[in-house]
Amino acid sequence: MMKKSSDASVFRANFFVVWTEVAKNMKFLMAYPVIFVFWTIFPFFWFLTFIFQGQAIVGGLQSSSFAEIAGTPDYIPFIILGAILNGYVLTSLYGVGESIRREAYQGTLDYLLSSPCNKAFILIGKAVSESISSTIYAVIQLVVCIVFFGIELTLGVIMPIILILILMILGLYGIALMLAAFSLQFKQAHDLAHTLEYVFYLFSPVRYPVQALPFWAQIVGKFLPLTYALIAVRSLVLLRQNFLAIYEQIFLLFVIDAVALFLGFYLFNWMEKRTKKSGSISQY
Amino acid sequence: MVYNKDNDVYSIQTINLTKVFKKRKHIGIFGFLKKKTEKETSGSGEDVTVALDHVNSEIRSGELFGLLGPNGAGKTTLVKCLSTILIPDEGTAIVNGFDIREQTSLVRASLGLVIGGERTLYWKLTARDNLMYFASLYKMPRREAKERVDELLAIMNLSDRADERLEDYSTGMRQKIAVARALLHDPPILLLDEPTLGLDPTFSRQIRSQIRELCKKEGRTILLATHYMKEADELCDRVAIINDGKIAAIDTPEGLKARVKETELVEVACHNPPHDTENYLRPLCPDVEIITLIRGDEAKGTPSRIKLIGGNAEKHVGTVVDALREKNAQITSVNISMPTLEDAFIKLTGAKLAEGGTT
Amino acid sequence: MNKIEENRGLEQVSCPVGLSLANLKAELRAIWECNIKEWKIELAYPINFTRQCIEPLIFLLPILVYGLVLLGGSRFSESLLRLVGTGDIVTYTFTGYIIMGFIGTAVWAMGFSIRKEQWYGTLESIYVTPTSRLSLVLGMALHSVVHQSLGTLFEVGVIYAVFGLALRIEGILPALAIFALMMFALGGFGIFISSLALIFKEGWIISEGFHSVLMILSPVAYPLTVLPTIAQQASTVFPTAPALVGMRSFLIENYTPEILGNVFLHLLVLDAAWIVFGILIFYLTDSYVRKSGTLGKY
Repeated sequence: MMKKSSDASVFRANFFVVWTEVAKNMKFLMAYPVIFVFWTIFPFFWFLTFIFQGQAIVGGLQSSSFAEIAGTPDYIPFIILGAILNGYVLTSLYGVGESIRREAYQGTLDYLLSSPCNKAFILIGKAVSESISSTIYAVIQLVVCIVFFGIELTLGVIMPIILILILMILGLYGIALMLAAFSLQFKQAHDLAHTLEYVFYLFSPVRYPVQALPFWAQIVGKFLPLTYALIAVRSLVLLRQNFLAIYEQIFLLFVIDAVALFLGFYLFNWMEKRTKKSGSISQY
Repeated sequence: MVYNKDNDVYSIQTINLTKVFKKRKHIGIFGFLKKKTEKETSGSGEDVTVALDHVNSEIRSGELFGLLGPNGAGKTTLVKCLSTILIPDEGTAIVNGFDIREQTSLVRASLGLVIGGERTLYWKLTARDNLMYFASLYKMPRREAKERVDELLAIMNLSDRADERLEDYSTGMRQKIAVARALLHDPPILLLDEPTLGLDPTFSRQIRSQIRELCKKEGRTILLATHYMKEADELCDRVAIINDGKIAAIDTPEGLKARVKETELVEVACHNPPHDTENYLRPLCPDVEIITLIRGDEAKGTPSRIKLIGGNAEKHVGTVVDALREKNAQITSVNISMPTLEDAFIKLTGAKLAEGGTT
Repeated sequence: MNKIEENRGLEQVSCPVGLSLANLKAELRAIWECNIKEWKIELAYPINFTRQCIEPLIFLLPILVYGLVLLGGSRFSESLLRLVGTGDIVTYTFTGYIIMGFIGTAVWAMGFSIRKEQWYGTLESIYVTPTSRLSLVLGMALHSVVHQSLGTLFEVGVIYAVFGLALRIEGILPALAIFALMMFALGGFGIFISSLALIFKEGWIISEGFHSVLMILSPVAYPLTVLPTIAQQASTVFPTAPALVGMRSFLIENYTPEILGNVFLHLLVLDAAWIVFGILIFYLTDSYVRKSGTLGKY
């Protein structure tokens, strides 16, 4: 007869699930140096086109028209910070959101789902490992940008930036959990991930200030954690504002995180039960 | 076609066919930090596998020729070389009179290939669409392709489901479409690589029946690569036993069994055989040529089988039974039997051929 | 010594092979059927199909909005006018962006064609047929070109409705001629990419990498003169740079880039070079993959 586990042992077991998943995914990453190099280098290629475009249109490295909306005439650091933080969105959506479909494709999904652990912790493990790898890429990219593109980063902003990133990532986890929930039932998870990517790409201030968008588009952007994260980070780094100036963004990130994580866990558990009943859980 | 000095006609002839695979060890990002073993420091960092080792064989026209061996024996490698998917490192083969190195298009036009396994067709297309597409790749005119596809779907009893997507088919039905695809251009030669892999007994029986008919009634030459001993025994005119890239023997199934016919064969079936059974029994039966254990599945209730081949195997039955009982094995049966193809395989190669894998 | 009789074998072979009209017709038909097959598979995923139709617009809009923001909402750039003779950033950017999808044809549709068949599980079944592998790649290319062309027409409609475009109608036909020349060279490039994608396990990295490089070296949203000198020189190797310069010359009033040259001759040379190079590398890698035994692996 099974003993009822104490809360501490359940916590330890769940932590171990997360840890094992992180270790597995990090081993995978380390086994493929080409992938590591790719994700470190190629985001530069993606934002370089915007930098060249800016130079062609403006004729220099600064734009006074841009400063009227963004608060800074330096569009290059603006773009770079947007690209680096956007990297987290991509790894969250594609890394976590498609994880279920990957497990199904590899044939390991049945074994994962028949295990006694809470499946959401497996996903958290995947999300944490994606965040670790994203952070490694982001740090390398930021160092390169500080050296070559003149971005200035003082020690005083590092801790607030870390807090902002954590809050942004938690919000992205919640969204990714919802995506994973839908992918249990609907086979075309990558289409959902792509659609979400488009939403972030269009309505978050990755390439331009959110004020550049029509009013209705700005409303959509207000529901995205990346919007507040970018506003906050740019305020600290480019506009040299202090932490108090971004309290509104921090507060709204907390709210989004709470809502997204709750919805994500709830939907995932609900959908898991539903698909187990219908038997479509491991079909690919 | 290849004619030998006795004017026998061969559809397929392999001449010193050799294939070696080299695989570089995967070390990862921090591989350079790991301490290398002595083997790794002295070697080139590559694993070398000889998949085919100077294979020479001939398959007669109209023959159903079996290639029997465990996983990793070289069967699929041989099939891939003959079908020109793989280029051999040494030697060559003549398929329907065409050299696999020099006349690849003609070789491909001469044969149809059936590979066992789930994914060799487009699941999002219907059966008809799949066959019509491949018919175009076999360069069949559209009208001829349409007639041929209808004909093959009728033969496979799938005409009423021809316009359903393959993702809605069962595994057996998909395999039937795979066989139909191989027959589209009416090739004189078929290469079948584990065609019944993963199929249930009903579909396996249907596929085997179709294979037999294709050879005997339609006169095609068929090379059947399999690790199912029963399949080779039942269907093939001749069987080549292959292991570790080498052909150990080629003969009819009866001929192969006859090689162990004069040899005594005792089979003791038991549950819970002792640890390291073979080494435990060997000192008790010094004159028996081969003592081998084929493990059963205790969870399913299938007993393990201990085979004694050669020497005075029958004389040692009592000794073996007592020795097993001493170690708490539960004897279920004792047979002094006629050799099977499996026994011939074991005797000729020293390896075992368990169902579904290598042991 | 055994006697080999090919004639008996030839009698039993029903399909055309070698250099003959029948064989050429059969290869062309295989290209067409491959295209149809891809359409059928694509339309079996309607959500994915719809997404791919609107995706080009999704990626174009931020480029346009970003440009407008830099100019404070205006679409006129003095700097661009000085560089290329036209200051309308919307028309300039859009005429460059048109080719984006076709770069994708080369690096993804063609570049990933063989990998895609590996992913389907059908690659070995296709390799065993007497149809040339190049026909498979070209079939995928045909599907992609048609797909992109339809998408481009859709984009033209949307951008014209939302932003307005100042294009010279009489320049469309010569621009299409230049476009066709570019596509031949991109085709050769795509064949080259498909070979690389077959050798490297993470073939998508090859496609993504080349796509990114081409995006920078092609004057999609900016003239080549803003690039470092070494990048300008590198861009002459790819057909997109001269093609865009040539197409804009016909499509945009007053367009006078600093670098023009003889676009037609440049493209013809690139066509010959990339087609020959691409096919050569393709057959070399085909041989290598068949020797190493990695064909069926993904």
